[in-house]
Amino acid sequence: MKTAAAARRTVITDADFQKFRDFFYRKTGIQFDDSKRYFVDKRLVERIEATGAEDFRSWFVALRFESKGQELQHLVNAMTVNETYFFREAYQFDCMVHHMLDEVARRKPPGGRIRIWSIPSSTGEEPYSIAIYLLERWALINDYEVEILSSDIDTTVLAAAQRGVYSARSVGQLPKAYLDKYFTRRSENEFAISRDLVAAVEFSRVNLCDPADTRRFRDIDLIFCRNLLIYFDDLSRRLAAEAMYDALSPGGFICLGHSESMSRITSLFNVRRFPDAMVYQKPLGGGPP
Amino acid sequence: MGLRKTGTPEPLHAVQTRDHARDTAGLLAQLRQGDAGQRRWAARDLAAQPEAASALGAALLTERDGAVRDALFTSLSAQVGDAAVAALLPLLRSEDAGLRNGAIEALAGMPDAVASRIAGLLRDADADVRIFTVNLLGELRHPQVRPWLLQVLQEDTEVNVAAAALEVLAEVAGPQDLPLLAATKRRFAGDAFIGFAADLAIERIQAA
Repeated sequence: MKTAAAARRTVITDADFQKFRDFFYRKTGIQFDDSKRYFVDKRLVERIEATGAEDFRSWFVALRFESKGQELQHLVNAMTVNETYFFREAYQFDCMVHHMLDEVARRKPPGGRIRIWSIPSSTGEEPYSIAIYLLERWALINDYEVEILSSDIDTTVLAAAQRGVYSARSVGQLPKAYLDKYFTRRSENEFAISRDLVAAVEFSRVNLCDPADTRRFRDIDLIFCRNLLIYFDDLSRRLAAEAMYDALSPGGFICLGHSESMSRITSLFNVRRFPDAMVYQKPLGGGPP
Repeated sequence: MGLRKTGTPEPLHAVQTRDHARDTAGLLAQLRQGDAGQRRWAARDLAAQPEAASALGAALLTERDGAVRDALFTSLSAQVGDAAVAALLPLLRSEDAGLRNGAIEALAGMPDAVASRIAGLLRDADADVRIFTVNLLGELRHPQVRPWLLQVLQEDTEVNVAAAALEVLAEVAGPQDLPLLAATKRRFAGDAFIGFAADLAIERIQAA
């Protein structure tokens, strides 16, 4: 075990940074440029000290070869930010109302049903953001029946999502007009979402890696699965990708988080580049079994 | 129209009745004879049947549909064990790069199960199999990876196998590896790539 004095001397060299950056990109698809050097170095030193490694080299060799992948998971947690709020990564919602849904709608009969699945629901910010976006910004909302499904493996966050009470920080990115329209202010730091919006989202407990849980999800047109796969191991990512492929209608879309890449997991999907966002699409020719 | 409200009695997400038997024999029959959709679902459901590993591996050798192949690899990856390893190893000899890469990816996810096979693979008469084994070591998280790579650099006479090992070792090599890197460079003195790869690894060690 390293002494406290030695720990204070841990230094990440340029070569160490480069080696780590290459490895981390290969394993996760997350790329750190030179401007993130301080952020990365600080967390690397924390992990080296937490594991009691002598220096970067011995820590890196252990990281590289440990069979359980636990240190890699610690690293992913340290290098990523896990927070949710309304209208997070809104460029994908823009893409939804400007491009993806119009394309989906062209394949539907007038008045047909469009299904959107948001997973993980977490405490509900994402599915409710989708609902608000549709009501406020999709021109065809009155011509189709849109069903929003939202799932999470954690029943505690599902219960919170159905309560629908949020902090000022959580609603901070919402335009004031939407805040006034869809929320009731209960106190300085408490905003309760409209019960109409709660009723517009069907919440369910689902383990995305368990086919018994996901088999009932069919004919989905659009999946938001953002900042979840990054926390999965390789096998779980593959299982999740298979589940989403079978849940989607031919031509259906998947939106992942900005640091995630489906192409690194499977070749089942095509990449679609729209002006607002890059997303993944199930081939039109590939129908559900 | 607009947003559909929940609480509607219509059962939108009821589990669909399956058209075919889901026992092992029924699934294997669909894997061999069904349409692409049936084969894909059979492959997915066979993930829970370890006795089907060899059939999943055999199906990969003939399957042409990408979505079915994907499900076959995922199911074998989920089985993690000697039977899955035995089903995947023959794919390293395939002419199809997609099958080889899929096998390497799947095997990399079961380090404890594949470890006992590595020594044999590194002695395989086919140099291509030894190269693909080194490629596997590049993805494998196992404490023996470094000793296996050192063994290749000390013993393998095929320059392309040694070159592959150098590339993988370069990432984790330390000062203690400098003599072996120099020796490898001398052993393949006529090969420019070995010289370049060894120098690069040495440079990295000295820069750290």
